[in-house]
Amino acid sequence: MSGCARSLFPAGRCLSSSRQLPISTFNRRAFAVQSGGAPRFQVFNRRTKWLQKERTALNPEESRVADYLKDEVASRLTERLLRRAVAVKKLTNRLTRQDIKRHFPKVLDLGANSCNIARALVRKNPDPDPDLPASPPLVTRISELVAADSSEGLLYRDADHDFNKQINIIRQVLDDEESLPFEPNSFDLVMSSLSLHWINDLPGVLTQINSILKEDCPFIGAMLGGDTLFELRTSLQLAEQERRGGISPHVSPLADVKDVGGLLQKAGFKMLTVDIDDIIVDYPDSFALMQDLQAMGEGNAILGREMGPISRDVLLASEGIYRELHGNPDGSIPATFRIIYMIGWRESATQIKPLARGSGDINLKDILEQK
Amino acid sequence: MAPAKTRPIQKFSEATAKCSAQAAAYGKCIVADYNSVHKDKCVNEFIKLKDCYLRASKK
Repeated sequence: MSGCARSLFPAGRCLSSSRQLPISTFNRRAFAVQSGGAPRFQVFNRRTKWLQKERTALNPEESRVADYLKDEVASRLTERLLRRAVAVKKLTNRLTRQDIKRHFPKVLDLGANSCNIARALVRKNPDPDPDLPASPPLVTRISELVAADSSEGLLYRDADHDFNKQINIIRQVLDDEESLPFEPNSFDLVMSSLSLHWINDLPGVLTQINSILKEDCPFIGAMLGGDTLFELRTSLQLAEQERRGGISPHVSPLADVKDVGGLLQKAGFKMLTVDIDDIIVDYPDSFALMQDLQAMGEGNAILGREMGPISRDVLLASEGIYRELHGNPDGSIPATFRIIYMIGWRESATQIKPLARGSGDINLKDILEQK
Repeated sequence: MAPAKTRPIQKFSEATAKCSAQAAAYGKCIVADYNSVHKDKCVNEFIKLKDCYLRASKK
């Protein structure tokens, strides 16, 4: 039987042998290989996402008000450029500031939205610490920032604001965020804040990021993942189940923390750091949350979702369930945003590498027991 | 500049806010056993909620 299954003869030939196999279990493929030109797995409608972003840019006031999450995440993301300095300080108890002395000549902000990263980079005193003198804005260590996004309206929304004068920023509109038009080995740092969760082909984009980075240069990204908006997801599901007897996707499927490390590794990054951060925002009601999500350009863009608005019955039902299941004692409702931060470095021969297995000659147990 | 239009969702939100008691009753009915929710499980509570909402939205 195994000889038959493995053979490369056409199916008919094999079936005529002494032992016949049912056709359904007959499988001549020896390896699971994706055939060339196969379509990528599509989850999100990129065009819908583009439209949603363009629409929010048409109402700049509302869109700026709803930028609180993106601004906060961008500032936490850029803080990671300082992070190593803080860790060293805690260990040695010495005032070592900005341990990454590195200067980044050319930086890419992939999926820039309304250039939230640029705004975070020009912030004064990014590392407030009473023991230390004020630190210069991070932008002093960056020569050129390329802010790339597919939505022209959102990218240029704040092009006349003051922060543009303090930073050498080049805005570039991308045709498609999933195929990057940049030369390999051209960037010293790639950052991405709250955009990667709308990418269909995440492994492919990470691989491209790895290739456009120069050797021994970092990628620092933040994306929504895991339990983000689980309150909204569950209440809409329960409401639709009860009102209509079935559910349709309203909240995106998101990557989990444990997947991200594997994804980065698969894309060829080294010295990975992945961590998470929950930001919980309280809203007066679930409609305020939905309005804000829309104003952020973070509306539903799943392929195969039900077109048109959610019916009023379902909205009415989900509001009651949200409040009952997750509501705060003070009458507001919480919404969780779980941010996954990832840092990966492009491989280089000069990088520190883990030693070979079994090459250690100090027993960790001895050290720990001495303490 | 023309006065900003009230979005339908805002009217909806205001009307719903007046029915918090009915909404809570409906929510309790669902949450009591949310692992086995089926269609029209809490239809009575929902009708009360919707009646309240319809009355509130007409005012």
